Amino acid sequence: MNWKLYKNELIVVASLLLMLSAILYKNNQISSRAQEMLSTKKTVREFRELITLQKTWADKKISKKINKLEKIVPSSKVKWSKKGKKLTASYKDLDPKELNKLIKNILSMAAQIQELKINRNDSSYDVEFKCKW
Amino acid sequence: MSFLVNNKVLLLAYSGMKEQSLSHSVNIMLTPQFYTLKKEKLPLKYLYQAKKIAPSLFEGLFENSEKYDYLVYKEEEEWIFIAYDLEAISNFLLSKGIKPEQVAKIFFAQQASSSFTAPVLLGERDALVSLDNTVVMIPQIALKEDNDIVTFNDSFTPKRGVTPQGIHGLTLSRRQTIGLAGFFTLFALMFFVEGWRYTHDSQSTQEEMQMLLEENPSLQSQYTRESIAAKYKMIDKNERRKREVVKTLAGMIFKGVKIGSFKLNEKAFKVEFICSDAKVAKRLVQLAKKSEFNSAKVVTGNVVHIEEKL
Repeated sequence: MNWKLYKNELIVVASLLLMLSAILYKNNQISSRAQEMLSTKKTVREFRELITLQKTWADKKISKKINKLEKIVPSSKVKWSKKGKKLTASYKDLDPKELNKLIKNILSMAAQIQELKINRNDSSYDVEFKCKW
Repeated sequence: MSFLVNNKVLLLAYSGMKEQSLSHSVNIMLTPQFYTLKKEKLPLKYLYQAKKIAPSLFEGLFENSEKYDYLVYKEEEEWIFIAYDLEAISNFLLSKGIKPEQVAKIFFAQQASSSFTAPVLLGERDALVSLDNTVVMIPQIALKEDNDIVTFNDSFTPKRGVTPQGIHGLTLSRRQTIGLAGFFTLFALMFFVEGWRYTHDSQSTQEEMQMLLEENPSLQSQYTRESIAAKYKMIDKNERRKREVVKTLAGMIFKGVKIGSFKLNEKAFKVEFICSDAKVAKRLVQLAKKSEFNSAKVVTGNVVHIEEKL
Protein backbone atom coordinates (compact mmCIF):
# COMPACT_ATOMS: atom_id res chain seq x y z
CA MET A 1 0.00 0.00 0.00
CA ASN A 2 1.28 3.42 -0.91
CA TRP A 3 0.87 5.42 2.29
CA LYS A 4 2.01 8.64 0.64
CA LEU A 5 -1.19 8.61 -1.39
CA TYR A 6 -3.16 8.86 1.81
CA LYS A 7 -0.97 11.44 3.51
CA ASN A 8 -3.84 13.93 3.91
CA GLU A 9 -6.23 11.30 5.18
CA LEU A 10 -3.61 10.12 7.64
CA ILE A 11 -3.15 13.67 8.95
CA VAL A 12 -6.90 14.05 9.38
CA VAL A 13 -7.22 10.63 11.04
CA ALA A 14 -4.31 11.48 13.37
CA SER A 15 -5.90 14.77 14.39
CA LEU A 16 -9.24 13.00 14.84
CA LEU A 17 -7.56 10.43 17.09
CA LEU A 18 -5.95 13.26 19.00
CA MET A 19 -9.37 14.81 19.55
CA LEU A 20 -10.87 11.48 20.61
CA SER A 21 -8.06 10.88 23.09
CA ALA A 22 -8.60 14.42 24.43
CA ILE A 23 -12.31 13.62 24.92
CA LEU A 24 -11.38 10.40 26.73
CA TYR A 25 -8.88 12.28 28.88
CA LYS A 26 -11.47 14.94 29.77
CA ASN A 27 -14.16 12.36 30.56
CA ASN A 28 -11.72 10.36 32.63
CA GLN A 29 -10.76 13.47 34.58
CA ILE A 30 -14.41 14.36 35.11
CA SER A 31 -15.44 10.93 36.37
CA SER A 32 -12.41 10.35 38.58
CA ARG A 33 -12.18 13.86 39.98
CA ALA A 34 -15.86 14.72 40.23
CA GLN A 35 -16.54 12.30 43.08
CA GLU A 36 -13.39 13.29 44.90
CA MET A 37 -14.05 16.98 44.33
CA LEU A 38 -17.64 16.72 45.55
CA SER A 39 -16.57 15.09 48.78
CA THR A 40 -13.73 17.61 49.31
CA LYS A 41 -16.05 20.52 48.56
CA LYS A 42 -18.59 19.13 51.03
CA THR A 43 -15.91 18.87 53.69
CA VAL A 44 -14.72 22.42 52.96
CA ARG A 45 -18.31 23.66 53.22
CA GLU A 46 -18.73 21.90 56.55
CA PHE A 47 -15.43 23.35 57.78
CA ARG A 48 -16.51 26.85 56.83
CA GLU A 49 -19.88 26.35 58.50
CA LEU A 50 -18.18 25.13 61.69
CA ILE A 51 -15.74 28.04 61.66
CA THR A 52 -18.61 30.50 61.18
CA LEU A 53 -20.62 28.90 63.99
CA GLN A 54 -17.61 28.98 66.27
CA LYS A 55 -16.88 32.61 65.42
CA THR A 56 -20.50 33.57 66.07
CA TRP A 57 -21.23 31.74 69.30
CA ALA A 58 -17.76 31.79 70.82
CA ASP A 59 -16.93 35.37 69.90
CA LYS A 60 -14.20 36.59 72.23
CA LYS A 61 -15.39 40.19 71.90
CA ILE A 62 -18.93 39.44 72.98
CA SER A 63 -18.08 40.20 76.61
CA LYS A 64 -17.26 43.79 75.64
CA LYS A 65 -20.21 44.09 73.29
CA ILE A 66 -22.59 43.01 76.04
CA ASN A 67 -21.60 46.05 78.13
CA LYS A 68 -23.50 48.15 75.62
CA LEU A 69 -26.71 46.83 77.19
CA GLU A 70 -25.85 48.57 80.45
CA LYS A 71 -25.59 52.00 78.87
CA ILE A 72 -28.49 51.72 76.51
CA VAL A 73 -30.88 53.23 79.12
CA PRO A 74 -30.24 55.68 81.96
CA SER A 75 -28.14 53.99 84.66
CA SER A 76 -30.79 54.66 87.30
CA LYS A 77 -33.06 52.19 85.56
CA VAL A 78 -30.49 49.38 85.36
CA LYS A 79 -29.33 46.77 87.82
CA TRP A 80 -26.29 45.08 86.30
CA SER A 81 -24.55 41.91 87.40
CA LYS A 82 -21.91 40.41 85.13
CA LYS A 83 -19.94 37.44 86.44
CA GLY A 84 -17.50 35.60 84.18
CA LYS A 85 -19.44 34.63 81.11
CA LYS A 86 -22.85 35.26 82.59
CA LEU A 87 -25.01 38.33 82.82
CA THR A 88 -28.07 39.14 84.90
CA ALA A 89 -29.63 42.53 84.22
CA SER A 90 -32.83 44.17 85.49
CA TYR A 91 -34.41 47.21 83.88
CA LYS A 92 -37.14 49.25 85.60
CA ASP A 93 -39.66 51.78 84.33
CA LEU A 94 -38.72 51.63 80.64
CA ASP A 95 -40.87 53.55 78.25
CA PRO A 96 -41.96 51.74 75.02
CA LYS A 97 -39.17 53.39 73.03
CA GLU A 98 -36.48 52.25 75.51
CA LEU A 99 -38.00 48.78 75.61
CA ASN A 100 -37.89 48.46 71.81
CA LYS A 101 -34.29 49.64 71.70
CA LEU A 102 -33.25 47.24 74.45
CA ILE A 103 -34.97 44.20 72.88
CA LYS A 104 -33.49 45.02 69.48
CA ASN A 105 -30.00 45.10 70.97
CA ILE A 106 -30.50 41.91 72.97
CA LEU A 107 -31.60 40.06 69.85
CA SER A 108 -28.57 41.27 67.87
CA MET A 109 -26.07 40.02 70.48
CA ALA A 110 -24.60 36.58 69.87
CA ALA A 111 -25.24 35.50 73.46
CA GLN A 112 -27.39 32.61 74.63
CA ILE A 113 -30.58 33.97 76.11
CA GLN A 114 -31.35 32.07 79.32
CA GLU A 115 -34.27 34.16 80.42
CA LEU A 116 -36.12 37.21 79.16
CA LYS A 117 -39.02 38.62 81.15
CA ILE A 118 -41.10 41.67 80.33
CA ASN A 119 -43.79 42.98 82.71
CA ARG A 120 -46.07 45.92 82.10
CA ASN A 121 -46.71 48.40 84.96
CA ASP A 122 -49.32 50.94 83.77
CA SER A 123 -47.42 52.74 81.03
CA SER A 124 -43.88 51.50 81.77
CA TYR A 125 -42.14 48.15 81.48
CA ASP A 126 -39.80 46.11 83.68
CA VAL A 127 -37.37 43.74 82.02
CA GLU A 128 -35.28 40.93 83.44
CA PHE A 129 -32.59 39.47 81.27
CA LYS A 130 -30.21 36.56 81.82
CA CYS A 131 -27.70 35.36 79.28
CA LYS A 132 -24.39 33.51 78.91
CA TRP A 133 -21.71 33.25 76.21
CA MET B 1 15.34 1.09 3.09
CA SER B 2 12.35 0.84 0.85
CA PHE B 3 10.93 3.89 2.62
CA LEU B 4 13.86 6.00 1.55
CA VAL B 5 14.55 4.79 -1.97
CA ASN B 6 11.97 5.01 -4.69
CA ASN B 7 12.47 1.55 -6.23
CA LYS B 8 9.17 1.17 -8.01
CA VAL B 9 8.88 0.24 -11.66
CA LEU B 10 8.70 3.30 -13.91
CA LEU B 11 6.03 3.04 -16.58
CA LEU B 12 5.98 5.36 -19.57
CA ALA B 13 2.43 6.48 -20.22
CA TYR B 14 1.44 7.67 -23.69
CA SER B 15 -1.89 7.80 -25.47
CA GLY B 16 -1.26 4.75 -27.65
CA MET B 17 -0.01 2.52 -24.83
CA LYS B 18 -1.44 -0.95 -24.31
CA GLU B 19 -3.85 -1.70 -21.47
CA GLN B 20 -2.01 -2.70 -18.31
CA SER B 21 -2.73 -5.35 -15.74
CA LEU B 22 -0.83 -4.42 -12.60
CA SER B 23 -0.54 -6.30 -9.34
CA HIS B 24 1.59 -3.67 -7.60
CA SER B 25 1.98 0.08 -7.55
CA VAL B 26 4.18 1.78 -10.13
CA ASN B 27 5.66 5.18 -10.93
CA ILE B 28 4.32 6.82 -14.05
CA MET B 29 6.26 9.00 -16.47
CA LEU B 30 4.05 11.09 -18.71
CA THR B 31 4.87 12.09 -22.24
CA PRO B 32 4.30 15.69 -23.41
CA GLN B 33 0.81 14.60 -24.51
CA PHE B 34 -0.28 15.10 -20.90
CA TYR B 35 1.37 18.33 -19.95
CA THR B 36 2.20 21.78 -21.20
CA LEU B 37 5.71 23.05 -20.79
CA LYS B 38 7.10 26.55 -20.45
CA LYS B 39 10.69 27.55 -19.91
CA GLU B 40 11.34 31.06 -18.70
CA LYS B 41 14.35 33.03 -17.61
CA LEU B 42 12.96 34.94 -14.69
CA PRO B 43 14.67 37.02 -12.01
CA LEU B 44 13.31 34.82 -9.26
CA LYS B 45 15.30 33.52 -6.34
CA TYR B 46 12.97 31.14 -4.61
CA LEU B 47 10.80 28.25 -5.72
CA TYR B 48 7.73 29.53 -3.89
CA GLN B 49 7.90 32.76 -5.93
CA ALA B 50 7.98 30.76 -9.15
CA LYS B 51 5.11 28.55 -7.98
CA LYS B 52 3.09 31.64 -7.21
CA ILE B 53 3.36 33.07 -10.70
CA ALA B 54 2.96 29.70 -12.50
CA PRO B 55 -0.81 30.05 -13.20
CA SER B 56 -0.34 33.51 -14.72
CA LEU B 57 2.23 32.15 -17.22
CA PHE B 58 -0.35 29.79 -18.68
CA GLU B 59 -3.16 32.32 -18.67
CA GLY B 60 -5.36 32.03 -21.73
CA LEU B 61 -3.92 28.63 -22.69
CA PHE B 62 -6.48 26.47 -20.96
CA GLU B 63 -10.25 26.59 -20.89
CA ASN B 64 -10.55 25.42 -17.32
CA SER B 65 -7.33 26.76 -15.86
CA GLU B 66 -8.51 26.11 -12.26
CA LYS B 67 -8.29 22.36 -12.96
CA TYR B 68 -4.57 22.58 -13.58
CA ASP B 69 -1.72 21.98 -11.18
CA TYR B 70 1.84 23.04 -11.72
CA LEU B 71 5.26 21.47 -11.24
CA VAL B 72 8.01 24.05 -11.09
CA TYR B 73 11.76 23.60 -10.84
CA LYS B 74 14.92 25.31 -11.91
CA GLU B 75 17.23 23.93 -14.55
CA GLU B 76 20.48 25.87 -14.78
CA GLU B 77 19.42 29.44 -15.67
CA GLU B 78 15.85 28.65 -16.61
CA TRP B 79 12.70 28.02 -14.61
CA ILE B 80 10.71 25.04 -15.90
CA PHE B 81 6.94 25.26 -15.55
CA ILE B 82 4.86 22.15 -16.23
CA ALA B 83 1.09 22.47 -16.19
CA TYR B 84 -0.98 19.30 -15.90
CA ASP B 85 -4.58 18.25 -15.39
CA LEU B 86 -4.52 15.53 -12.74
CA GLU B 87 -8.12 14.53 -13.37
CA ALA B 88 -7.54 14.04 -17.08
CA ILE B 89 -4.36 12.06 -16.32
CA SER B 90 -6.23 9.91 -13.83
CA ASN B 91 -9.02 9.22 -16.33
CA PHE B 92 -6.49 8.27 -18.97
CA LEU B 93 -4.63 5.93 -16.61
CA LEU B 94 -7.91 4.31 -15.60
CA SER B 95 -8.78 3.75 -19.25
CA LYS B 96 -5.48 1.86 -19.51
CA GLY B 97 -6.26 -0.32 -16.49
CA ILE B 98 -4.11 1.60 -14.01
CA LYS B 99 -6.09 2.33 -10.89
CA PRO B 100 -5.30 5.54 -8.96
CA GLU B 101 -4.17 3.59 -5.90
CA GLN B 102 -1.61 1.78 -8.08
CA VAL B 103 0.13 5.04 -8.91
CA ALA B 104 2.92 5.85 -6.48
CA LYS B 105 4.34 8.94 -8.19
CA ILE B 106 3.88 10.79 -11.41
CA PHE B 107 6.86 12.18 -13.33
CA PHE B 108 7.06 14.16 -16.51
CA ALA B 109 9.35 13.19 -19.37
CA GLN B 110 10.80 16.70 -19.33
CA GLN B 111 12.24 16.04 -15.87
CA ALA B 112 14.38 13.26 -17.33
CA SER B 113 15.47 15.22 -20.43
CA SER B 114 19.13 14.43 -19.75
CA SER B 115 18.34 10.70 -19.86
CA PHE B 116 17.00 10.99 -23.40
CA THR B 117 20.44 10.73 -24.97
CA ALA B 118 18.82 8.96 -27.90
CA PRO B 119 15.20 8.54 -29.01
CA VAL B 120 12.85 6.33 -26.97
CA LEU B 121 10.31 4.51 -29.11
CA LEU B 122 6.64 4.77 -28.18
CA GLY B 123 4.84 1.85 -29.79
CA GLU B 124 5.20 1.62 -33.55
CA ARG B 125 4.64 5.21 -34.67
CA ASP B 126 6.05 7.75 -32.27
CA ALA B 127 9.26 8.41 -30.42
CA LEU B 128 10.38 10.66 -27.60
CA VAL B 129 13.46 12.74 -28.21
CA SER B 130 15.21 15.55 -26.40
CA LEU B 131 15.72 18.61 -28.60
CA ASP B 132 17.55 21.54 -27.00
CA ASN B 133 16.86 19.99 -23.58
CA THR B 134 13.15 19.80 -24.29
CA VAL B 135 11.53 16.38 -24.53
CA VAL B 136 9.16 16.21 -27.47
CA MET B 137 7.22 13.58 -29.37
CA ILE B 138 8.05 13.04 -33.00
CA PRO B 139 6.93 10.43 -35.57
CA GLN B 140 9.34 7.53 -35.88
CA ILE B 141 9.62 8.18 -39.62
CA ALA B 142 11.39 11.42 -38.81
CA LEU B 143 14.22 9.44 -37.22
CA LYS B 144 17.29 8.54 -39.21
CA GLU B 145 17.60 4.84 -39.97
CA ASP B 146 20.93 4.53 -38.21
CA ASN B 147 19.73 6.38 -35.14
CA ASP B 148 20.62 4.80 -31.79
CA ILE B 149 17.63 3.81 -29.69
CA VAL B 150 17.50 3.98 -25.91
CA THR B 151 15.38 1.54 -23.99
CA PHE B 152 13.17 3.17 -21.41
CA ASN B 153 13.81 1.81 -17.92
CA ASP B 154 13.77 2.75 -14.21
CA SER B 155 16.99 4.75 -14.58
CA PHE B 156 14.86 7.52 -16.13
CA THR B 157 13.21 8.08 -12.71
CA PRO B 158 13.78 11.72 -11.66
CA LYS B 159 14.33 12.66 -8.03
CA ARG B 160 11.16 14.71 -7.61
CA GLY B 161 7.72 13.65 -8.62
CA VAL B 162 4.10 14.43 -8.04
CA THR B 163 2.28 12.39 -5.42
CA PRO B 164 -1.09 11.93 -7.07
CA GLN B 165 -3.26 13.18 -4.24
CA GLY B 166 -6.68 14.13 -5.41
CA ILE B 167 -7.04 11.52 -8.10
CA HIS B 168 -8.53 9.01 -5.67
CA GLY B 169 -12.18 9.23 -4.85
CA LEU B 170 -11.27 9.36 -1.14
CA THR B 171 -8.32 11.70 -1.19
CA LEU B 172 -8.73 15.03 0.53
CA SER B 173 -7.38 18.25 -0.86
CA ARG B 174 -4.75 20.19 1.06
CA ARG B 175 -7.31 22.84 2.01
CA GLN B 176 -9.76 20.22 3.30
CA THR B 177 -6.95 18.53 5.20
CA ILE B 178 -5.86 21.77 6.84
CA GLY B 179 -9.48 22.63 7.68
CA LEU B 180 -10.38 19.27 9.17
CA ALA B 181 -7.07 18.73 10.97
CA GLY B 182 -7.26 22.28 12.35
CA PHE B 183 -10.82 21.73 13.52
CA PHE B 184 -10.01 18.44 15.26
CA THR B 185 -6.81 19.79 16.78
CA LEU B 186 -8.61 22.86 18.11
CA PHE B 187 -11.25 20.71 19.77
CA ALA B 188 -8.56 18.37 21.08
CA LEU B 189 -6.88 21.36 22.72
CA MET B 190 -10.17 22.53 24.20
CA PHE B 191 -10.88 19.09 25.66
CA PHE B 192 -7.35 18.82 27.06
CA VAL B 193 -7.65 22.24 28.70
CA GLU B 194 -11.05 21.33 30.13
CA GLY B 195 -9.68 18.05 31.50
CA TRP B 196 -6.71 19.87 32.97
CA ARG B 197 -9.03 22.39 34.60
CA TYR B 198 -10.85 19.61 36.41
CA THR B 199 -7.55 18.40 37.84
CA HIS B 200 -6.59 21.95 38.74
CA ASP B 201 -9.98 22.69 40.38
CA SER B 202 -9.66 19.57 42.45
CA GLN B 203 -6.17 20.61 43.55
CA SER B 204 -7.33 24.11 44.51
CA THR B 205 -10.15 22.65 46.64
CA GLN B 206 -7.60 20.42 48.37
CA GLU B 207 -5.36 23.43 48.92
CA GLU B 208 -8.29 25.41 50.33
CA MET B 209 -9.05 22.59 52.77
CA GLN B 210 -5.40 22.35 53.75
CA MET B 211 -5.34 26.11 54.40
CA LEU B 212 -8.47 25.92 56.55
CA LEU B 213 -6.95 23.08 58.56
CA GLU B 214 -3.74 25.03 59.09
CA GLU B 215 -5.70 28.08 60.29
CA ASN B 216 -7.90 25.93 62.55
CA PRO B 217 -5.78 23.05 63.82
CA SER B 218 -8.53 22.01 66.24
CA LEU B 219 -10.62 20.91 63.27
CA GLN B 220 -8.07 18.34 62.19
CA SER B 221 -9.58 15.72 64.47
CA GLN B 222 -12.82 14.21 63.31
CA TYR B 223 -13.94 13.75 66.93
CA THR B 224 -13.34 17.43 67.75
CA ARG B 225 -15.14 18.48 64.60
CA GLU B 226 -18.17 16.38 65.48
CA SER B 227 -18.25 17.66 69.03
CA ILE B 228 -17.92 21.32 67.92
CA ALA B 229 -20.61 20.80 65.30
CA ALA B 230 -22.98 19.18 67.80
CA LYS B 231 -22.47 21.95 70.37
CA TYR B 232 -22.69 25.00 68.16
CA LYS B 233 -25.36 23.70 65.79
CA MET B 234 -27.62 23.14 68.78
CA ILE B 235 -26.89 26.60 70.22
CA ASP B 236 -27.41 28.18 66.79
CA LYS B 237 -30.72 26.38 66.28
CA ASN B 238 -32.10 27.27 69.74
CA GLU B 239 -30.99 30.90 69.69
CA ARG B 240 -32.34 31.46 66.21
CA ARG B 241 -35.68 30.04 67.33
CA LYS B 242 -35.80 32.35 70.40
CA ARG B 243 -35.09 35.42 68.28
CA GLU B 244 -37.61 34.35 65.67
CA VAL B 245 -40.32 33.99 68.36
CA VAL B 246 -39.61 37.45 69.81
CA LYS B 247 -39.65 39.04 66.35
CA THR B 248 -42.90 37.31 65.36
CA LEU B 249 -44.61 38.33 68.62
CA ALA B 250 -43.40 41.92 68.18
CA GLY B 251 -44.92 41.88 64.71
CA MET B 252 -48.29 40.94 66.20
CA ILE B 253 -48.59 44.17 68.18
CA PHE B 254 -50.88 46.49 66.28
CA LYS B 255 -53.28 49.31 67.26
CA GLY B 256 -55.31 48.25 70.28
CA VAL B 257 -52.84 45.58 71.39
CA LYS B 258 -50.39 45.99 74.25
CA ILE B 259 -48.04 43.50 75.76
CA GLY B 260 -49.03 42.58 79.34
CA SER B 261 -46.22 40.23 80.15
CA PHE B 262 -43.71 38.10 78.40
CA LYS B 263 -41.50 35.29 79.67
CA LEU B 264 -38.98 33.30 77.68
CA ASN B 265 -36.47 30.73 78.90
CA GLU B 266 -34.45 27.87 77.38
CA LYS B 267 -37.46 25.64 76.91
CA ALA B 268 -40.63 27.68 76.46
CA PHE B 269 -42.22 31.09 76.23
CA LYS B 270 -45.41 32.61 77.58
CA VAL B 271 -46.97 35.90 76.53
CA GLU B 272 -50.00 37.90 77.56
CA PHE B 273 -51.47 40.51 75.25
CA ILE B 274 -54.00 43.09 76.47
CA CYS B 275 -56.38 44.10 73.75
CA SER B 276 -58.68 47.14 73.62
CA ASP B 277 -61.78 44.98 73.05
CA ALA B 278 -62.92 41.43 72.31
CA LYS B 279 -62.93 42.04 68.56
CA VAL B 280 -59.26 43.00 68.56
CA ALA B 281 -58.52 40.00 70.80
CA LYS B 282 -60.21 37.68 68.30
CA ARG B 283 -58.25 39.19 65.44
CA LEU B 284 -55.03 38.76 67.42
CA VAL B 285 -55.78 35.07 68.02
CA GLN B 286 -56.35 34.59 64.28
CA LEU B 287 -53.06 36.33 63.57
CA ALA B 288 -51.25 34.18 66.13
CA LYS B 289 -52.63 31.01 64.60
CA LYS B 290 -51.45 32.18 61.19
CA SER B 291 -47.98 32.46 62.70
CA GLU B 292 -48.41 28.87 63.92
CA PHE B 293 -48.91 29.79 67.58
CA ASN B 294 -51.77 27.37 67.92
CA SER B 295 -52.05 27.71 71.69
CA ALA B 296 -53.29 31.31 71.32
CA LYS B 297 -56.57 31.84 73.14
CA VAL B 298 -58.71 34.61 74.61
CA VAL B 299 -58.64 34.25 78.38
CA THR B 300 -60.89 36.92 79.81
CA GLY B 301 -62.71 39.10 77.34
CA ASN B 302 -59.87 41.10 75.93
CA VAL B 303 -56.77 39.26 77.20
CA VAL B 304 -54.95 36.83 74.87
CA HIS B 305 -52.54 34.18 76.09
CA ILE B 306 -49.96 32.25 74.11
CA GLU B 307 -47.86 29.59 75.77
CA GLU B 308 -45.67 27.26 73.78
CA LYS B 309 -42.54 25.18 73.88
CA LEU B 310 -39.57 26.33 71.84
